Amino acid sequence: MDGGKVTLGRTAGLYLGAAVLRLALFTLFPGLADLLTGRVEISTPVTSFKRLQEGLFLYDHNVSPYDGGVYHQAPLFLPLFSLLPSLPIFTYLLYIAVDILSAGALLKIADSGEAGSSALFTSPRREKRWSGFVIATVFLFNPFTIATCIGRSTSVFTTCAILHAIAKAVAGAPFGAMVALSFAAYLSMYPLLLLPPLLLLCYDRQPPESAIKPGVQSAATNILVVVGVLAALFQMSYFITGSWEFLPSTYGVQLTLSDLTPNIGLWWYFFIEMFDSFRSFFLAVFWLHLSCYVGGLTIRLRRQPLVVLTLLLGIFSIFKPYPSISDASLFLAMVPLYRHVFPLMRYTFVIAAVIMYTTFLGPAFYHLWIYAGSGNANFFYAITLVWGLGQSLLVCDLTFAVLRDEWEVERPEMVGKDIRQI
Amino acid sequence: MRQLFSLLLLSLVALCFAPHASAADYHEQLVLRPLPLSALLASFNFRSNTTLSAFEAHNFRFFPRSLGQILQHAGTRELHLRFSLGRWDAESWGARPWEGAREGGTGVELWAWLEADTDEEADRKWRTLTNALSGLFCASLNFIDGTRTTRPVMSFQPEGNHPNSTMTNMHLLYGVLPHEVVCTENLTPFLKLLPCKGKAGIATLLDGHKLFDASWQSMAIDVRPVCPPGGECVLEMEQTIDMVLDIERSKRPRGNPIPRPPPAHELKCDTSKPYHSGDTCFPADYNANQDWSLSQIFGRTMKGTCPLTDPNVPPVCLQVPNSRGVYITGGATEKKNLDLVSRCYEIAPDTPEFEMVLPRPESNEESGQAAVVVQEVVKPETPLLYAERSFTGHGQEHGGVQTILRNPSPDTEVEFIYMETLPWFMRIYLHTIEARIEGQAGASKQDPLIQEVYYRPAVDRARGTQLEVRMRIPPASTVFLTYDFEKSILRYTEYPPDANRGFDVAAAVITILNPNPNPNATSPRFAAYNLRTTSLLCSLPTPDFSMPYNVIIFTSTAIALAFGGMFNIIVRRFVAANEGPEMTLTAVKERLRKRFGGFLQKYRGKADEKKSE
Repeated sequence: MDGGKVTLGRTAGLYLGAAVLRLALFTLFPGLADLLTGRVEISTPVTSFKRLQEGLFLYDHNVSPYDGGVYHQAPLFLPLFSLLPSLPIFTYLLYIAVDILSAGALLKIADSGEAGSSALFTSPRREKRWSGFVIATVFLFNPFTIATCIGRSTSVFTTCAILHAIAKAVAGAPFGAMVALSFAAYLSMYPLLLLPPLLLLCYDRQPPESAIKPGVQSAATNILVVVGVLAALFQMSYFITGSWEFLPSTYGVQLTLSDLTPNIGLWWYFFIEMFDSFRSFFLAVFWLHLSCYVGGLTIRLRRQPLVVLTLLLGIFSIFKPYPSISDASLFLAMVPLYRHVFPLMRYTFVIAAVIMYTTFLGPAFYHLWIYAGSGNANFFYAITLVWGLGQSLLVCDLTFAVLRDEWEVERPEMVGKDIRQI
Repeated sequence: MRQLFSLLLLSLVALCFAPHASAADYHEQLVLRPLPLSALLASFNFRSNTTLSAFEAHNFRFFPRSLGQILQHAGTRELHLRFSLGRWDAESWGARPWEGAREGGTGVELWAWLEADTDEEADRKWRTLTNALSGLFCASLNFIDGTRTTRPVMSFQPEGNHPNSTMTNMHLLYGVLPHEVVCTENLTPFLKLLPCKGKAGIATLLDGHKLFDASWQSMAIDVRPVCPPGGECVLEMEQTIDMVLDIERSKRPRGNPIPRPPPAHELKCDTSKPYHSGDTCFPADYNANQDWSLSQIFGRTMKGTCPLTDPNVPPVCLQVPNSRGVYITGGATEKKNLDLVSRCYEIAPDTPEFEMVLPRPESNEESGQAAVVVQEVVKPETPLLYAERSFTGHGQEHGGVQTILRNPSPDTEVEFIYMETLPWFMRIYLHTIEARIEGQAGASKQDPLIQEVYYRPAVDRARGTQLEVRMRIPPASTVFLTYDFEKSILRYTEYPPDANRGFDVAAAVITILNPNPNPNATSPRFAAYNLRTTSLLCSLPTPDFSMPYNVIIFTSTAIALAFGGMFNIIVRRFVAANEGPEMTLTAVKERLRKRFGGFLQKYRGKADEKKSE
């Protein structure tokens, strides 16, 4: 009992520390928030806080924010932020609270031990893991997370919803998980692709005391919940904005990439340079590529759905249309759950070096292109390529480590031996 | 015989039309106004009327048939077209001619009231109109598409008299091409619309070389119906050309156009300067270059008068103080006006050429230079408002627009509408718009400068931003109107060939409202004064145009690496390093030896046999 209390106190201290750090950054450096809001690495056209303010301004003045090319975010943000008192401190507190809620969900996921032992698979190395406290600390004090919070990107709401969906699924509450996932999908659309592994996770983590439902039935119920919640959210949005024109403006922009503002992803420069006649073809190919991982990973890693979710989050943070470092921070928050397979990873040094290298060189090259004029667009493009490659190396390496961990259950004598894949 | 016949026909035609054509149907006038700093404003005005009934019956006399048919086809009730170049220097030249009503922003500007039942029909007619005018005036007016067309709400009002029945379904559309370079090919069709086609009268002075060499010039066409009280409604077409010529530049001889400093002994020095000495000279006549003749500044003399013009309107007027002497050719008579600062010249119809010479005023050099300037030039009128607009910020990512508006009047407040039409790739943030009076920290709450805002946000690739702000500026104060915008990056095919030059942003249109519009007047002027800021050049971030293939290849490679790596890991089986089928280099060599080893052995054996033989 005492230990539990101490942990609780420790966690509260962690949250307090994270909140104080963020509040200090907000208040001691008043220009920092606006500086970070303007950075392309943090704010994308679909998550920018400045665009949200513009949408809010138009909404408050009875101009439809979707009848324009600036606001591409979900309609429910509008009443939420217009109900907030106009003092900026309330916005800061909201963003800090969202970050802490995300950390709470992450703590629950980590403490459940799902990463090491799922319903169908138990890793022999599961004992070697970090506690939820450490993982929440890594998330809350990750510079990417802090920068996203200070830059007030609305992707933190998606992050929070995804983490809560996973936490609820792990806790054996499929209804809550589906509601949270629907919110995430409503806010940014791409989390809908997480539905198949999340269904499996929910199925695997059904509380043993309740009657085990057959898989198809539980999946159907859960999908119905998602559809129902999404329908309700869309209906609410319709009532808020008075028309359906928010659909093409929020989700259509992500599908067609009409706004080519630079970001850390691979899409923007590709579609700037794309020939007009092939544009729609390659848009379809890119979306197909993004979604093709869902099926393969879900089947291959059927025994560990949480791994599938983690890997998918990594893939999304590389290949989605408007990625930002907020997506990377979500992926990097999930990676420490697999502390037990870290020894099996082969390129940890290369990955860490590449991520550091791009983190420092990316802003520098962007400055050279946009402000100094001594570089051109290829400078920043090259860095986004390297960033994408570094992250994909991390995703691949983690997949390799997890699969080898699974394989070594079958072949315990191979631990520490050289292996190859045929 | 044929000549006689045509002469007969001509006189017959003249006889037929003579009773219908009242002399007031067409007149033309040139007003010359010397401005400070060796500039000269020349305002050409050509006005022709045709009755609406004659127009409807396709009976064109002074009204050009080509334009008339376009207007009828496109259902245009009122048309305003502007071709402009350069910048009006209000600080030194004062108020604009015609109170700014005949002026456009840099490039081409077109606005028209079209009669249509629906917005779609209006758009269709607008497209017809712009395409037809594009052909008529050799301008790229056909590029006025959806992204460049707006429907102003507050800034414009019809100038003509429209019956209430048509007023209800008239649509105002406004398009602007700031990038269009106005040149000689636009002047030629403009002159062709005149009844005398530029062959006689004041239009003979218009020479492309001089017109487009001006510091500022604006060509305007205005078509509007006018109903005089008690008379028949007429369709009035007014063609105006205003230009500010640099006299010194115009007087440069054509054979030797490169300006060179005059030799020292020809230099006139301002002896009143304290540093004046044998080797130091402040050029005295730099600011006071006010002696010129028509043929010097226009490159030619005026070829008589247009026989169709109303003889009661003097064709040439000059606005200089009455004390200045002017030489004119014979056949013309000078008539000084009562206001002491203008005079007009009536030219007898049979005068072959008209020339006017303003000699250097008999200045009393010892009285100082300043006095001479005041004598030569009428002091320009102070405009109601000064406006200048510029970009703020640096870099190709974010930026801001700042307009400095100054009300020079010491006691009158000025109320106006500020209109901007911005291209869609400038994403403006309306929540950052702010108006503040110079010297005050923030916008005052109780007496806001911004009275009303009409805003239509841009849609990517479909529609430009339209911003209209009604503002009020207290007397003798300067107001800064600022807002932020973001520069978006375009597809590489959307950039012009000179992408790094930047994109032209149309001039802001400022319409100063008439403080007490007289509703009883025949055409109540809604605007007291119009002015336009200069256009701006917005530089957007550019991609590397040379490497679409490289980008496609590099990105595809990165994706293929990620996908391939993942696919490999997922699909292939794990085995220990020494298990499973070997595919190393030694294994391949071994397999090759097995297959071809025997053959090689045989061949070698044969060779050995041969050697032993």
